[in-house]
Amino acid sequence: MIELFGVTKRFGAETAVDALSLRVEKGQVCVLVGTSGCGKSTTLRMINRLIEHDAGEIHLEGAPVRSFDEVTLRRRIGYVIQSTGLFPHWTVARNIGLVPRLLKWPRGRIHERVEELMALLGLPVQEFADKYPRQLSGGQAQRVGVARALAADPDILLMDEPFGALDPLTRQALQKQLQELQARLHKTVVFVTHDMDEALALADRLVVMRKGRIVQQGRPIDLLHEPADEFVESLLGGMDRGLKEAALTRVSERMLPLGPRLLASERIPYDASLSQALSLMLWHRVERLTVVDGEDIPVGELSLRRLLGGKSS
Amino acid sequence: MESGRCEPNRVLLVLMLAGLFAWLSLDAVSLAPNRIVSGTPYRAFQILGGWPALALALPMLIVAGLAWRSSRQALRAALWGVLALLTLLPWWLVAASVDLVEPGMAQARVGIGASIWLLLFVWLLALIELRTRLELSRPLGWLLLLPVLTSWWLALTWGQAPLSLYREYQARSDQFLTAVSTHLALVGAAVGTSLVLGALLALAMRRHPGVRRASFGLLSFLQTVPSLALFGLLLAPLAWLGARVDMLAAIGVSGIGWAPAFLALLGYSLLPMVRNIYVALEEVDPAVIESARGMGMSRRQVLLQVRLPLALPIVLEGIRITTVQAIGLTAVAALIGAGGLGTFVFQGLGQAAMDMVLLGALPILGLALIADATISALSERLRPGGAP
Repeated sequence: MIELFGVTKRFGAETAVDALSLRVEKGQVCVLVGTSGCGKSTTLRMINRLIEHDAGEIHLEGAPVRSFDEVTLRRRIGYVIQSTGLFPHWTVARNIGLVPRLLKWPRGRIHERVEELMALLGLPVQEFADKYPRQLSGGQAQRVGVARALAADPDILLMDEPFGALDPLTRQALQKQLQELQARLHKTVVFVTHDMDEALALADRLVVMRKGRIVQQGRPIDLLHEPADEFVESLLGGMDRGLKEAALTRVSERMLPLGPRLLASERIPYDASLSQALSLMLWHRVERLTVVDGEDIPVGELSLRRLLGGKSS
Repeated sequence: MESGRCEPNRVLLVLMLAGLFAWLSLDAVSLAPNRIVSGTPYRAFQILGGWPALALALPMLIVAGLAWRSSRQALRAALWGVLALLTLLPWWLVAASVDLVEPGMAQARVGIGASIWLLLFVWLLALIELRTRLELSRPLGWLLLLPVLTSWWLALTWGQAPLSLYREYQARSDQFLTAVSTHLALVGAAVGTSLVLGALLALAMRRHPGVRRASFGLLSFLQTVPSLALFGLLLAPLAWLGARVDMLAAIGVSGIGWAPAFLALLGYSLLPMVRNIYVALEEVDPAVIESARGMGMSRRQVLLQVRLPLALPIVLEGIRITTVQAIGLTAVAALIGAGGLGTFVFQGLGQAAMDMVLLGALPILGLALIADATISALSERLRPGGAP
């Protein structure tokens, strides 16, 4: 659990973070969004004391961060940044094993842990262990970055626009991978981004920031339904809000069991989102889709009216 | 380079044609009855009826022909050709001196003319070109020069060619060795001390911006003082110190000699050294430093495990620049009695004996080249992220 109580940070005359209070529950993904310069990165970096706060208190599991030695504190917190920050003179395996080595784990255990993490992140050990960072693609490098952050199995993960520099396809793949990881590992994650789609996709708790203050926070769906002001509304996509909301709902939540009617010709996987379903309908000019499972076997159907939230088909 | 297309290698072609032209039209050697008198020039084809000259012209033609169809095999053959040329040249000189020097002329000297200097230059360029094209490793490149050097050594000692340069060396071989070791000792001391001081200064600069401004200002100013003037400026204070402080006098500190030379060299060496170390430490990708700190590395660990290894190639670059510069400057230090290879240069100038000037100048050039090549190779090896 991470708690911020009235935390303030000033850089000279400028107040970067202004009396900010925030609470991130254990196992929750908290996403900080906002325009650049709104203080979201500063907030993140105050948690692992890369930046010291001027006023207020930051607590981890009830203890103020200042009560820990800063080096010890950081070794307990995973940290991922946009440009990966991998050490160019170390191999992938050595990069991942950094924190365990700092913690003086025995060699064998580090080795095991590195291989375990590489498997977890989909990086074949044979192929990648001895590569150097500059031999990796952007997506591979960022996966190594995530593996390195997870190496000593920290409870808390801080991620500062980790996928910001990646192309859209790779970014989505990594977001999905992160979701799957999180479903297994249940870390307490603070994630900074300015990409609203990313924020909506990943967040358990969405925190919208502006000029060092929190404008609104809550579940993504609640923010979509009741944005506090025009700023939040425009940040959430303005007229595209409907699509953003549809992107948060799975087809499986709205589909109906297969009826007596003939199967619709166009198919959609059950774990696709409503916005994808809508897109398919628009594209094929149809009002009905057959929902299929992982093996392409029909499990239900989705009509336009159901998609829109209507009761019957 | 695909070997399939076989475009002519223009570099090699031009080099060989230039070599041929020089060989045919310029003076190859000169014969002087003694050390001071200037010699009579001879062209290559005036020696022994021109046949030995042909023995060198032919391989050049062949290499030029190979350059025309520059497949990999052709280039490899060309490499052997150039090496053969370099190996044969000293024996041509032996032949020339046998032909030119009459038995009575005990003091006679054979000087190397424009044509041969040019040939050496052109062939070495050709070697470098071939080494790059054939992607030979640096060590192998140096190894290839071994038979060439052996051949020259054999020709000079066993073949007894009365080459003026070699005569000059023979007359003062002891002095020569002392000069080389003095030269190297001065350079080594200046570079070593400036490395230690430079590193300390660079670390202090990173802590305190004030130190940075002051040091860079002072060192840049020092760099603009002409070397001879700096030697002169150090003369008086060091002479005074040497006269007053017995302990300093005992280790040889005086207005002339090694002490002012060392101090001046150190002054000149500090700027490139400090600048490179400082820049190297500063230029490390801030994201890497940020993540190193974020992962929980202590200041010391960040410096030793991240900053320093990543900075090393640029630091070595600083050492390289400083070393090459110091090798050149030490030559000037001979003027204030510090010894070293510069002694020959200035004595030779005084006696109008060009060969003696060369006896000093050529090794200085050689040392600079060797230092440059060795340190470059080292920094290439240490580039982060494994071999490129």
